[in-house]
Amino acid sequence: MAPTSTLVAPPDGAQAPPGTPGSRPRNRMKALAGWAYAAPTALFVLIFFIVPIVLVGRMSVSDWGLFTGNEGINAPENFTDVLDDRLFWPAVWFTVKYTVVTTLILLALALALAMLVQEANRWTGFLRTSFLVPSALGLASASLLFYALYSPQSTPLGFLGIDSFLGTPNAALWSTVALVVWRFAGFYMLLLLVGLQGISGDVYEAARLDGAGRWQTFRYVTLPLLKSSLALCTILCVTGSMLAFDQFYILTKGGPDNSTITIVQLVYNMAFFGQNNLGRAAALSILVLVALLVVNALQFRGLRDKES
Amino acid sequence: MRTRITRGIIRRAVASVAALGLVATMAACGGGDDEAGGASAAVTAEGTDDGSELTLWTRAPLELQAKALVEAYNKSHKNQVKLTIVPNDDYVAKVGAAAGSGDLPDLFAADIVYVPNWTKAGLFSDMTERIGLLPYADKINQGHVTAGTYEDKKYVLPFVLDLSVMFWNKKLYQEAGLDPEKGPTTLDEYREHALAIQKLNKPDTYGTYFGGNCGGCGVFTWFPMVWASGEEVMDAEGTKSLLDGAAAQKVYATFRQMQEGGAIHPGSKDDTGATWVAAFQEGKIGVMPYPATLLPTAAKTVDVGVGPIPGVSGGASTFLGGDGIGISKDSKKNDQAWNFLAWLTSEAGQVDVLAANDSTVARTDLADNQYSAKDPRVATVNKVAGAPQSKTPFAVNFQQAFNAPGSPWVTLFRNQVYGDAGALANDNAAVSGVLGQ
Amino acid sequence: MRALLIRTPQHVLAGGLALIFLFPLAWAAVASVSPQGGTAQTDGWGFGNYVTLANYQAGVGQYLVNSTVVSVLTVLFTLAVSVLGGYAFAMFSFPGRNVLFLVTLAILMVPYATLLIPLYVLLNQLGLQNSLVGLALVLTMFQLPFAVFMMRISFEAIPNELREAALIDGCGSFRALLHILVPAVKPGLITVGLFAFLAAWNDFITPLVLISDSDRAPLPLAVANMRQQVMGIVDFGATQAGVVVLAVPCVVLFLALQRHYVRGFMSGALKG
Repeated sequence: MAPTSTLVAPPDGAQAPPGTPGSRPRNRMKALAGWAYAAPTALFVLIFFIVPIVLVGRMSVSDWGLFTGNEGINAPENFTDVLDDRLFWPAVWFTVKYTVVTTLILLALALALAMLVQEANRWTGFLRTSFLVPSALGLASASLLFYALYSPQSTPLGFLGIDSFLGTPNAALWSTVALVVWRFAGFYMLLLLVGLQGISGDVYEAARLDGAGRWQTFRYVTLPLLKSSLALCTILCVTGSMLAFDQFYILTKGGPDNSTITIVQLVYNMAFFGQNNLGRAAALSILVLVALLVVNALQFRGLRDKES
Repeated sequence: MRTRITRGIIRRAVASVAALGLVATMAACGGGDDEAGGASAAVTAEGTDDGSELTLWTRAPLELQAKALVEAYNKSHKNQVKLTIVPNDDYVAKVGAAAGSGDLPDLFAADIVYVPNWTKAGLFSDMTERIGLLPYADKINQGHVTAGTYEDKKYVLPFVLDLSVMFWNKKLYQEAGLDPEKGPTTLDEYREHALAIQKLNKPDTYGTYFGGNCGGCGVFTWFPMVWASGEEVMDAEGTKSLLDGAAAQKVYATFRQMQEGGAIHPGSKDDTGATWVAAFQEGKIGVMPYPATLLPTAAKTVDVGVGPIPGVSGGASTFLGGDGIGISKDSKKNDQAWNFLAWLTSEAGQVDVLAANDSTVARTDLADNQYSAKDPRVATVNKVAGAPQSKTPFAVNFQQAFNAPGSPWVTLFRNQVYGDAGALANDNAAVSGVLGQ
Repeated sequence: MRALLIRTPQHVLAGGLALIFLFPLAWAAVASVSPQGGTAQTDGWGFGNYVTLANYQAGVGQYLVNSTVVSVLTVLFTLAVSVLGGYAFAMFSFPGRNVLFLVTLAILMVPYATLLIPLYVLLNQLGLQNSLVGLALVLTMFQLPFAVFMMRISFEAIPNELREAALIDGCGSFRALLHILVPAVKPGLITVGLFAFLAAWNDFITPLVLISDSDRAPLPLAVANMRQQVMGIVDFGATQAGVVVLAVPCVVLFLALQRHYVRGFMSGALKG
């Protein structure tokens, strides 16, 4: 085991897990003080999130063109139009496929990296930094960088013998996954590293004394104890992947042959490319929001069931 | 403590009231009419130059010309134009956001193929009377003016022209035993020239190139081949696709044969438009339709021959592309904005700025000028701009049918060159389906 | 010796992975000064692409200033709001607490592009259109889920004794927050601030819609403008130079603050 770490261990103090109230006596004053502190957050959320969302909701039931503005309620036409769009189901299918592929690869790699750099020394310090540096780039910048990296005009990757990085549906998918993994692996590695560091050395010692091998230790000790960190990563990764936009917008524009259109790209296309129909785009956004709420609620519930 | 809490409560109350008000007003805004109309005393040909500040938006690809025009105008006028450049792919989003809340700049340019849609949506102010006052009104590029005409009212003038013409590499022509001074004059010649250059078997060198996954490139380079053959790509209303006509089929067949003969650069198939001109500039392509605006750039590295785009058996055409410009519905300075447009179409704007910067002039009477006299290739481009078979296609749903990523048009021509050529009837119906929406 | 033998392949593998991760950035830096057709640097090595970038429109100086102003404002807003909010969520119980927290997290689940048009309309109503402050406010909103979550778990990780000592001390809860608790959550603050900075510095689509004035555009917008030329042709030299200029401050900050934000994540309640 690594005796020390540059990473400071979390304090041992008891803490209320998120979602459960603190234990101190409370009264009206406390509640008021709580609200006072929460007020700026509430204001921000109200003005810059709730109000726009209400407007999006209104758009979704209205005939609302990008250039023409609101032309009256037309519900549920936008929703039926969305479901009838020739690209809707391919986009749903592709988004789900991309989400599953990305989440699996990203989390597996992040976990492997986290285990690789668990110990603290110069060498792992260098490794950690290398894996983390891509996280400093914006996703759009990273996509531009990979766009140049993949372009036949400027690519340095000719030696790989790959004809085309973005030319076929599969190549485009895997090239994009490579970009996203490169950009995010370090970040998720960090989150998992935190979880790993939280596992006490005694547990490993006990496992060793019981004669557990490396794989067994990993399977029966590390994984279960990492569960909440892994759950957090999964939720973030699934949400992020289902909303994937920048990477495809820059790298593939949904091509070739519409094989890499994600839902959010379809939202963008409906609003700004061709149809110029904000009502329809809003309707699809509402559907995405509902789907994400359901997926995340299921993930939370799955997490809780397993815990109990 | 107490005061802080009270303040918090008051702030919250104020905020929620404000927010409710916002929702109400936001919902109300939308189709707002501009009462600004500026019931000006008299409409004049020159407009007003009284030191007003005007705003102008254009997309990034035209930065060079837009900047030159604005600088020259600001130097010689009291009015001052402020230029905003917007990335190409996001221009529609930007204009759309501003249009919805009555916030458009005084002047803005638009890709000419989107102009019919935008004029129909009422984004521009009517300029019919003003344009009529210009002594050279009938000499202004008619493709652009027609695209900007809706219900007999004129809304748009040409801002910057971008034409497609045939470029060929004279050096490669010589090596292949072709006449370097004569480009292809029919589609068959185009194919033969490309195949001849392919036969040189030079490493990394190919007969031709096209944006194989780029709807806009296909429109820009293939439509003129149909027009030059005397056929149309759409009906007059722009609601029905005629891309299954005999000439169109000949175009597809030409490319398919070149593909089968190995004369098309392999990068073509995936090119989304990002690199479709690069290979020619590197001297690796024999002959291809090309944007005329890039002549100065390409001429730096390649000895370029320039000619009009030919049809099945001769003919000469070009795609009258580029951007049109109009006064926005939200402008309160119509007379001042018109002053800029009047100057833009004058000889000062066209020759002294645009022609001097290697751009094509948008007036037929100025096609021969001191700059085109220096380079016969520029004269060729200017001449083809006024040719009868040169057009700007007109359709309200143009963007969605042709330019948008994954449009039915992209599906159509990819099938014709690379896939199942028998799908033409269906694919063409799909294009019609979008056009006719 | 045996340990070394076992570990050598592991080292090679890890080192190889690290190189793969570093490669794209290193390549962009090299390619941006190398000669390429269709860019500002056609023959020989040099800084042609950077010169183009520096002289673009309002000039790179103006864009850097704009980007810095937006990023700093975003960091300040985010810190102020999330410290107070995190404190409220961690230390107080009040009606609507859980709802507010969940709604804040829900910001993560809405497609970015959809909110922009309503936000554009909203900022116009507030008189904040085309202003860097308005842009920073919107970017702050997008940062809140992460920031409030992070600050909440940071406050919750403070040992109880310290929290109670601070409150019993007789000073009001605000002074307790300011003088005792904020120093205790410093790693969390740095983490939140850093991520707010990175997001604001790199964001492209929000300023695109919200800012109409070239003089007020942040750097990513200028890079996007330079990238595309007529008929969708891309200038790869300008792209690479732009990516490098955008990345350098981020990477420097990221490395300089690495120890702090790693600790910030650690101090949270993320452990199993």
